[in-house]
Amino acid sequence: MADFGALCLFVALATSGWAVLASYNGWRARLGELVLSAERAVYATWALVFLAVLSLQYCIFTDQFDLEYVASYSNRALPRLYKFTALWGGQAGSLLFWLFILVSYASLIVLTNRRRNRSLMPLVVTTLMVVSTFFLGLVSFMSRPFVRLAFMPEDGNGLNPQLQNPFMAIHPPCLYLGYVGLTLPFAFAIAALATGRLDDTWFRTTRRWTILSWFFLGTGVLLGGWWAYVELGWGGYWAWDPVENASLIPWLTCTAFLHSVMIEERKKMLRVWNLSLVIMSFLLSILGTFITRSGVISSVHSFTKSDIGPVFAAFLGLCTLVSVGLLLYRVPMLQSEHRLDSFVSRESTFLFNNLLLVGAAFAVLWGTLFPILSEAVRGVKITVGPPFFNEVMVPIAFALVTLAGICPVIAWRRASALKLVEKIQVPFWALLGAVAALLLGGVRDVYAIVSFSLATFVIATTVMEFWWGTRSRQRVTGQNAGSAFLSLVDRNKRRYGGFVVHLGFILIVIGVTGSTAFKQESTASLRRGESFSVGRYRMVFEDMVSQEDANREFMGARLAVYDGQSRRGTLVPGQNFYKAGQNPSTEVDIRYTLRDDLYLILTGFDPQEGRATLKAYLNPLVNWIWIGGGVLILGAWFAMLPDIRDRRRDAEAKLREVESRAA
Amino acid sequence: MAQRVSRKIVITVALIVTGFAILFSVGLKGSLVYYLTVSEFLDPARQTDLGDNFRVNGTVEAGSIKRLEGAPGARFVMTDGARTLPVVYRKELPDTFVDGAETVVEGSLGPDGTFAASTLLAKCPSKYEAQNRKTGNYKKAADQDNPAGAQETGAAPR
Repeated sequence: MADFGALCLFVALATSGWAVLASYNGWRARLGELVLSAERAVYATWALVFLAVLSLQYCIFTDQFDLEYVASYSNRALPRLYKFTALWGGQAGSLLFWLFILVSYASLIVLTNRRRNRSLMPLVVTTLMVVSTFFLGLVSFMSRPFVRLAFMPEDGNGLNPQLQNPFMAIHPPCLYLGYVGLTLPFAFAIAALATGRLDDTWFRTTRRWTILSWFFLGTGVLLGGWWAYVELGWGGYWAWDPVENASLIPWLTCTAFLHSVMIEERKKMLRVWNLSLVIMSFLLSILGTFITRSGVISSVHSFTKSDIGPVFAAFLGLCTLVSVGLLLYRVPMLQSEHRLDSFVSRESTFLFNNLLLVGAAFAVLWGTLFPILSEAVRGVKITVGPPFFNEVMVPIAFALVTLAGICPVIAWRRASALKLVEKIQVPFWALLGAVAALLLGGVRDVYAIVSFSLATFVIATTVMEFWWGTRSRQRVTGQNAGSAFLSLVDRNKRRYGGFVVHLGFILIVIGVTGSTAFKQESTASLRRGESFSVGRYRMVFEDMVSQEDANREFMGARLAVYDGQSRRGTLVPGQNFYKAGQNPSTEVDIRYTLRDDLYLILTGFDPQEGRATLKAYLNPLVNWIWIGGGVLILGAWFAMLPDIRDRRRDAEAKLREVESRAA
Repeated sequence: MAQRVSRKIVITVALIVTGFAILFSVGLKGSLVYYLTVSEFLDPARQTDLGDNFRVNGTVEAGSIKRLEGAPGARFVMTDGARTLPVVYRKELPDTFVDGAETVVEGSLGPDGTFAASTLLAKCPSKYEAQNRKTGNYKKAADQDNPAGAQETGAAPR
């Protein structure tokens, strides 16, 4: 099975390479058959890579430990779920998985564009398959999943216990779907640049794909934060670790693109800027993989130093060169058709929002790459600590939140300041009310006051926006409020989905503020029956407990949790000891509430004295981060649903294409 | 070229960019930290222009981990093969912190010559790939990295 998998990859390398050549030459020589054969080669590549993935999974599930990859990342006692996830537990497998997602996206793109965008498709296929060929080269020659050992070990090493967590089944796939998805708009942008067909087709076609990968990337980042939160030693939900940063940076540039593309759509402005954002997002996603996989920057995530770093750097350099070259070549064709003439207009708020987002991305990138840069320039490694990121990102985040509050009420083109004042009145009073309430409530932390009151402001403008919209629709159609509201959001899915995304973002801001500004902690060493407390909670150490299954043995401390006099349940923080002989893993236990999380860690137990050493954290409002994430997901999905206007536009585009072919 | 954008926008953009520059320089000032190996850190000629805080990397010397009693954290000795540095860390330890783990600590040198770490990152000894190829035996390699579980080192409750 292993040889079959390796063979599949070699053949796929050939088909993928063929797709590149046939597609490119088919475009140059205008040979439809050649282009068609390239598209068939895309499907073939997908099928072959899929077979390779299946055979690796087969080897993992049938415990073929003579395969180095299986021996390294699986073992007999590993539960099924984690055998499945072992596919992306190691480098070779995760590159294969990455490749699989890429060729799946490529096949879908080819499938959905059989009759559309025929002038762009050859170069789209070329671009996608160049990337695919690169990854196929990696898994065929450098980081091979199907390498055999000279002997058959009795058992494998097992998956790193820190990775044995249900998050392992969703966080990496989400992140990869996001990272890889950024290749699609990039491919269309490259095709548009190379063919000179720089109208809005390229981003219209990929807009939904861009939102989709933005959505997956964001979800992946959030899930990673949640995972890091429950996993001890990963520094809480966000630690400005290089690998975390690597996933945030393209997400920021992609967010910028999703905003500024609306200006291009309406005003045909910022065209060079939009192309640059798409290209940047893709390059940053490759850079992210490079950071994650090369080990050049010390991170908790990069478990292995590997030799694929230079190859990645070279590929990154090549992509940068080609795309920047193409962009510069086409700049003369990309003049704006309109001018940005008014300060008080939605266009200008989008412009500022873009500056802030790209500035934020640059700041994170700078801080992340600083050790490499300083070593290159001064010969000493200097790292940039979390204080830098916090000091830069918090003001930027505040500015972005403010814009999210103002932007929706500002009209396109030239908004009247009077109208703006009228619309912003209620939210402004809400803001002042929030400040007063916080001060009266005893909050003295300036950051918290600013953050919470700005959040109130945004929530108010957004809710008002739904309300204004519903009212004016009611006036026009005479419907009742409920159906007016429904038809309003149904007709403007992107607009109102976007507002819901804003609300989700605001909830995340609230959660982050609460859990950083008001965090409490306490440590204690307890005998049975003794107690300690943090915030409103008191915990009584009752007894030690243990539990055993085929894979691991669990040992924990049972604590009764009291809030005042009333009992709120039992928490059992402890440790897992794995039978495959890996390091034990700490299992924290958490009491989740909307108000705060009680987070308990067992850091030690002394059987002679019967003492358990415990650490408790109280993390206020932290769950609003995940709830906000959920709201964000809902909003994003809603925005991706097909719009009536979109359908009409698609029909028109099809008509145009038919006409142009007939002509 | 005629005026393409309004002056107010240009001014605001300039203000934002200036704001960035200020944020950057202020933010960088307080958070730059030298990243050194144990030997480089112990070298009396090391640079000190960025303050007392340092990031030091090395591996945990086998058998040197002594857990603090009644509180999270541990004392241990870090080495880079040439020189050694005693370290104390008073927060809960990550699971990857075991004998031989590659560790990065950030903090400053105390008056008693012990490095007081305020943050600690640990990477598992990479038993997964390189070492196994050398020893040629998976099971044995895993046991060597992790002598009788981590109990001896006290990195786990007994």
